[in-house]
Amino acid sequence: MSDENPESKDNGPASDPEGSVKTTETTPTKAEAEALHMLAKGKPDEPTKNHRHDHGGAPHAHDDHGLAHTMPIPLLFGVLGALLVLTIATVSVTSIDLGHTGNLVVAMVIATIKAALVCTFFMHLFWDKKFHTVLFLTSVLFLILFLSMATADRGEYQHLVDEYRAQQLQVK
Amino acid sequence: MSEPSTETQAAKTASAPPPAAHEGHGHEDHGHEAHDPIHAANPHLAHHFDTPQQQFDAGKLGIWLFLLTEVLFFAGLFCAYTVYRSMNPEVFVYAHYFLDTKLGALNTCVLLISSLTAAWAVRNAQLREQKMLMINIVVTIACACTFMCVKYVEYSHKYHDGLLPGHNFQPKEQIWELKSFRDKHPEAAEYAEKLAKLDEKKAEAPAGGAAKPSEGKAEEKAEKIERPTEEELEPLLNAGLVGPRSLDPSAHISRPRMAHVFFGIYFFMTGLHGFHVLIGIGIWIWMLVKAAKGQFGPTYFGPIDFTALYWHLVDLIWIYLFPLLYLIH
Repeated sequence: MSDENPESKDNGPASDPEGSVKTTETTPTKAEAEALHMLAKGKPDEPTKNHRHDHGGAPHAHDDHGLAHTMPIPLLFGVLGALLVLTIATVSVTSIDLGHTGNLVVAMVIATIKAALVCTFFMHLFWDKKFHTVLFLTSVLFLILFLSMATADRGEYQHLVDEYRAQQLQVK
Repeated sequence: MSEPSTETQAAKTASAPPPAAHEGHGHEDHGHEAHDPIHAANPHLAHHFDTPQQQFDAGKLGIWLFLLTEVLFFAGLFCAYTVYRSMNPEVFVYAHYFLDTKLGALNTCVLLISSLTAAWAVRNAQLREQKMLMINIVVTIACACTFMCVKYVEYSHKYHDGLLPGHNFQPKEQIWELKSFRDKHPEAAEYAEKLAKLDEKKAEAPAGGAAKPSEGKAEEKAEKIERPTEEELEPLLNAGLVGPRSLDPSAHISRPRMAHVFFGIYFFMTGLHGFHVLIGIGIWIWMLVKAAKGQFGPTYFGPIDFTALYWHLVDLIWIYLFPLLYLIH
């Protein structure tokens, strides 16, 4: 499933008119990547030593279909800002009393928002193949299963622990 | 394979290498240089991949699978934490007063900033921004080292204060002597101090009574009567230091039972995380060397991307560790 990426739709037709004769598979991706490079720099770059299929230096229409998506700098700093604000929030919310579980839930919700920000943007999952998101969420699913099973099991035997402790107290 | 419609398909199937590479000489490396145009054009394309895209996708899938196992790896520790905290909530309340929230928050910010520079470095590699790539990797390494220095300060502090797991848990400073606790629960602090003195007296009693067993017994009885009842412990209960299930007369009431286990969990979780940071520093230095050689560009930036992904995961784990260990209410 990871094989079916947007490339099969986008690259073929996009580079068709410009590409002269295609003998290899690299042509679209490499050309796109070079175009991305040129676009980002704002000027045509010196051709790489391995330039085989030159398209005349004309930038392509697409700017985000190299090997992978490129993160814009403002977005990078925006995400960092949000993460720092959330860190301050989670520290300051500790001084407000919401009860033992209340504070824990708030802290975990904030941590999860932070984690989601890191995954979606810093880890490129927003633009990446959805399969990677599925993979990662699978691990999270099993983490949750693991924790909830352990907690449920522990709760189930709590009365035994309590009885044992009470006994120990009586012996003393 | 030369038709545009089938070329993407062909690129993905490893079993169909470019014809030039196939004919005549099996898979010798020198054969690729001379006859395989794609590999000749991409010096960093491994011989078992057909295209840079295929190489990148395979690597990315691999690193995501690795991150998946990392999550499950830490899941065991988070499970230990969850079970222990739900059984002994008072231990966590007690122990978190010994942790410095400011240092923890500082480390959080340091890691977040290093995550930014790591993500930025990926962009630099994709766009062949050689200078910025080097700067961002160096800043990431510097942040990682700062993180480890702060950790060192914290660990050595714990070591000197006797806050170690297991038998080595001998806190030099008591909970009521901590400023963080005094500020929050002055009443409970005073109360805990009083109780501790009681505990001390109790500890002396059997030693004194050893010569005369009958007297010793009487003294012990007296001590038991002196012990506070549950209602009297209210200040400590309110401060969360004493759980309703931990009213064990034989334990130090001014310190929850099994407080040492918290420091076992603390050192193991932060230690394993710190170990990941150390490995991360090593990999970033390796990436710095590769970047200095000018290896990265639009068709070859996988290693930077994968290292950054690993780095973000280390950051993710800290995002959860920080509130779980330092910010207990």
